[in-house]
Amino acid sequence: MRILLIEDEDTLREQLAAVITEAGFIVETASDGKQGLFQGQEYPFDLAVVDLGLPKLSGIEVIQGWRSKGKDFPVLILTARGQWQEKVEGLEAGADDYMVKPFSEEELLARIRALLRRATGWSQSQLQCGDIVLDLTSQAVSQCGQSIEMTAYEYRILEYMMLNSGKVISKTELTEHIYHQDFDRDSNVIEVLVGRLRKKIDPANDIKPIETLRGRGYRFVLPRAV
Amino acid sequence: MSLNRRLLVAASVVLFVFLGLTGLVLDNAFQNSAEQAQRDRLQSQIYALLATADFVEIDQRLQLGDALPEPRLGSPQSGLYAVIYKSHKGVVWKSPSSVALDIPRYTRAKRAKWYYEPLVSKSGKQFFSLSFTGVWEDRFKKQFEYVFQVLEDYAIYNKQVASFRHELWGWLAAVAAVLLLAQGLILRWSLQPLRKVASDIEAVKKGSVDRLKENYPLEIQGLTESINTFIDSERAQRDRYRHTLADLAHSLKTPLAVLKTGLHGQDKVLDDQIDHMRNIVNYQLQRASSAGRTTMGVHTPLLKVVERIISSLEKVHAEKTIQCIVKVDSDLKFPGEQGDLMELAGNLLENAYKWAQQKIQVSASIKYVNNKRYLNINVEDDGSGIPENRKQEVLLRGRRADETVAGHGIGLSIVQEIVSQYGGHISLNDSSLGGASILLSIPLE
Repeated sequence: MRILLIEDEDTLREQLAAVITEAGFIVETASDGKQGLFQGQEYPFDLAVVDLGLPKLSGIEVIQGWRSKGKDFPVLILTARGQWQEKVEGLEAGADDYMVKPFSEEELLARIRALLRRATGWSQSQLQCGDIVLDLTSQAVSQCGQSIEMTAYEYRILEYMMLNSGKVISKTELTEHIYHQDFDRDSNVIEVLVGRLRKKIDPANDIKPIETLRGRGYRFVLPRAV
Repeated sequence: MSLNRRLLVAASVVLFVFLGLTGLVLDNAFQNSAEQAQRDRLQSQIYALLATADFVEIDQRLQLGDALPEPRLGSPQSGLYAVIYKSHKGVVWKSPSSVALDIPRYTRAKRAKWYYEPLVSKSGKQFFSLSFTGVWEDRFKKQFEYVFQVLEDYAIYNKQVASFRHELWGWLAAVAAVLLLAQGLILRWSLQPLRKVASDIEAVKKGSVDRLKENYPLEIQGLTESINTFIDSERAQRDRYRHTLADLAHSLKTPLAVLKTGLHGQDKVLDDQIDHMRNIVNYQLQRASSAGRTTMGVHTPLLKVVERIISSLEKVHAEKTIQCIVKVDSDLKFPGEQGDLMELAGNLLENAYKWAQQKIQVSASIKYVNNKRYLNINVEDDGSGIPENRKQEVLLRGRRADETVAGHGIGLSIVQEIVSQYGGHISLNDSSLGGASILLSIPLE
């Protein structure tokens, strides 16, 4: 999952980026509104965390810019002022949630996960497809109650696929959402990772949770448990 | 005393004095001219009598012609009388009109002189009298003096004067009434712009308009422009103040955020202290930036703000599928700045969304208590409510922000602070929905 973080205060930006990265997300950062607007328009993101008091372009203008271009990823706004006027303006501009500074990192991560879940139509932090359960908070995967050990990249692929279950996901899309933007996209590392993931969640190769659509990508086909 | 009354009283006094003096002068002038006319009339009667008089030398007496010069002299008690005296002796002739009348005799007579005088008869009747002494000579140059006296009844003159006075004062009264009416209308018309300024200022106070309009007469444009400048500068100052406070909040809270994130939740004491500082900053800055009631009252449509907050919160709490019932008339207005109303509605509704299971209700109405108008805003939810023993505690926190527990109650204490700045009060009750009911009562005047 790729997250764009726009915060002008250097120390806070670095700290937050570290916190979000540690939680298993890919983070790209921007230090002013103009740069943030550009990044959000040009690259695919699953979510953006935007400080409202930004230099060059305000957070509200950045969000409006994205929404007018049809960018519909969820946006979490950070406000230091904490005034309702500002929160409401931010939400009206197109943001989906707000947080008032200072906040705890757990709260920030919980909000990020909740927004990602909501954006993909999941209502709980435990995603279940067939007998596979993925806990967004603890980042643990289990099958029929048995926990499955995974590397960070395997987990990211499975998380992205389960969040977007039923949808066709191209290799490029998958690459973009689990790697930094400077990753070498020509490599076949995605195929290798998907192959490893298949072996872990379907060792007998009988439930076939990940379908390969030739020339188009992958689809996670196990039905969502309601 | 109002300006209108002052001008009206002053102008009325001047008007009455002026008209009174005019009346007296005219009355006096009329009396003089009436007396002069009386005198002229009497004189012409004497001339006419002199013209008909003939001195008969043989008898040495004065003889008058058969025809009287004036018919009134011939009819008894007509008011006009004539008597001829032989110098300092008795009456030689009396006009038929004076029959059976006691005619007073002249008091002064001198050859070829006219004497005009008011006389009173023994019976008390008043006359104007004019007398003239004429001299006749016989051929031996012996001279005979006769005094011609013509009198007119004073009542006739009196009647004339009374009739004139009646007319004069009647007309003056009518003129005074018309002038007073005109003056009242002129005053009303001239003072209308001032009344308009007063009503416009009242409208600004009530918040139905932002500032005074521009189309006032030249004389008061300076005043209205000054009032507008005052209103604008007050608003600009308040905005500046608010922005400064918001910037201060930003510059205080970003370092706090750095500190908190840097701790990674590892030092509980420091973490609590940071939350503590955040709450103090939140509470004190919010308290300082709340505008409270202002002289040039601003009013904010209640429903619009409530709807904006609700649609924002619905977005944030999209997963909770909460039904929010709004019972707020679209014409209700909050007697203050939009920022303050947003803090009130935002904090109350945020709490409601946090605690509600399925249902929230926002209602507002105007209530009268001791003839004072209050805007009541009630936010209810179907959550777990506030336990009886904690109600007081929740409100007390507002006064002692430094003891506030992180994440709880700070919103309500801000609400309480703003409400008290507006002179209102807050009460916590149990809602019929099952949860908490928070009622704000804000005085409107």
